[in-house]
Amino acid sequence: MKVIPFPGGSSAPPDDAWLAELEAALNGDGEGVVADSWRELRRDVRALAQPMDPEFERQLRARIAEHGARSAHKQSHRRSGWLRPPSRLGAAAGIAAVGAVIVAVVIVSHWRVAMGPIEALPHQPAVSPNAGRAESFDHLGASAPRGAIRAAKGAAAESGASASAGVASNAPASSGVTTPPGRVQQLAASITLAATPNDVQETADRVSRLAVSDGGFVQSSHVNVGQGTGEANLDLSLPSAKLGVALVSLGQLAPVRAESQSLQDITNTYDAARQRLADVTAERQALLHALARASTEGQIDSLRERLSQNRGAIARAKSAFQTVSQHASTAEVEVTVLGDAHAGSEGLTLHRGFHDAVRVLVVTLVILLIAAAILVPLTLLIVALAIAARALRRYRCERVLDAR
Amino acid sequence: MSRPVSSSDEHVQRAITQAWPGALDAETFDALFRECGADVHAYVVSLLGDRTAAEDVMALAFERLYRSRARLDQRRGTPRAWLFAIARNAALDELRRRRRQPRYELEDELTADRDCGEGLEHVERRATVRDALAALPLREREVVLLKFHGQLSNSELARALGISESNAGTRLHRALARLHEGCLQAERQEEIA
Repeated sequence: MKVIPFPGGSSAPPDDAWLAELEAALNGDGEGVVADSWRELRRDVRALAQPMDPEFERQLRARIAEHGARSAHKQSHRRSGWLRPPSRLGAAAGIAAVGAVIVAVVIVSHWRVAMGPIEALPHQPAVSPNAGRAESFDHLGASAPRGAIRAAKGAAAESGASASAGVASNAPASSGVTTPPGRVQQLAASITLAATPNDVQETADRVSRLAVSDGGFVQSSHVNVGQGTGEANLDLSLPSAKLGVALVSLGQLAPVRAESQSLQDITNTYDAARQRLADVTAERQALLHALARASTEGQIDSLRERLSQNRGAIARAKSAFQTVSQHASTAEVEVTVLGDAHAGSEGLTLHRGFHDAVRVLVVTLVILLIAAAILVPLTLLIVALAIAARALRRYRCERVLDAR
Repeated sequence: MSRPVSSSDEHVQRAITQAWPGALDAETFDALFRECGADVHAYVVSLLGDRTAAEDVMALAFERLYRSRARLDQRRGTPRAWLFAIARNAALDELRRRRRQPRYELEDELTADRDCGEGLEHVERRATVRDALAALPLREREVVLLKFHGQLSNSELARALGISESNAGTRLHRALARLHEGCLQAERQEEIA
């Protein structure tokens, strides 16, 4: 039998020349004994296999022709790319993307409900757990409102803490303020609206109606309308819990030129007033007990005198406590409506349009960001799982070769 | 074993043996069957050792190729190489599923060789190659079958095996070396006998 030459020895690892020589021989390019032997070996190996059964070949060709005819039929009826139904992978990706966007919208909606409107975010007071500390947030570079200054003075008088502005309350969720547990805070806000001179009166009236509808009232109002100019100043007292909503509603009446919010922690004052009331009430009880046990005329007269004085003390303590409670439950809002000949057009077209466009973009960006935060890890996880599954399938498949 | 492509369309022939024309059209697909069908069948039947199973696998391979025709990628080589890679995967799936020891059905061929009037030496050499091939581990036998039946280049062989080109070269070299040793051993045994 003719021995098949094996260039390079059988144990040495193949080099590029050996592989190239084998390739050339099998392609018919190589010449010589070795190349002929490779080709002969290939012929021998190929000749060992059984030929295809003619009947099977006929059937398979018929199936291929049938597929081809069906494919050609589909080709003629193929719709344009964007009308074609997506593949399973494309459909899954689309469903995942839509789902992520929906989740993002839900999250953003929940966030907006919980935190208040987007436009209130830049001036949300950052509440410190420390008592007696107040912070103010000026918006759009506006000068400090009068109400804020008053609140600052009140804060200094109340607790001695440094404060630039102040209004307080038990932190309403809708105002975007978070109250630490056990703290009592007073809220205040100031907002400046721009309106055309002719609309100053109307805007002021709408502000008043808004205050009433929100459960508050107008403490003071001053409207001054002249030739081509006008200004209105209103001091509102609103429930602290509705401050955030009220500010949003006020901002919808006219373009906002400036806005600020502030808070003042009055926990110490509140606690002191409550303690004072409790003390004088306890004193009255003690005096009444003593009066019941009094036996002499002198003791009775003395106790009645002290009870009379105690009644006055209780009244004063109640008044002080109610005042503090009133500060905690209501927010003072100073509204200024400025008459500006350009306010209407500016607010309706350029400024407001730009503002709204920015808001839309910000919300869209947030939604896309959240969607990406969902989709990216999900995609990575799916890709990793797919790679692992493919590797496992390949490993199990290849293992068959070693098992024999 | 290869059959000449009867189609005169050079585009089809070039599509099969050189590069993708894009997605396979019906004409190219039919020509691909005529060009490679016999080789695929020979490869699969040699690997599985079972004609019925080989026919099932072959039909499955063409079915898979048809389904994946829209995902054809020029970077993955010619349609022939792609077809053999699919056929290999299908054959391995079949082996794994059936757990059947492959066996060679070569008696008919050897008888046919004799009937064709070929020399005794020719028949004996093929018997030697058959025995040496059968003695190879399945992993190495598969490389030899894929190389000779598929007529794939080393890069296409590497893609079909899912390994690097250098690794494919090493595996091919080792398989051919063992085949060579097997043939030598068979020859020595014949001389002793």
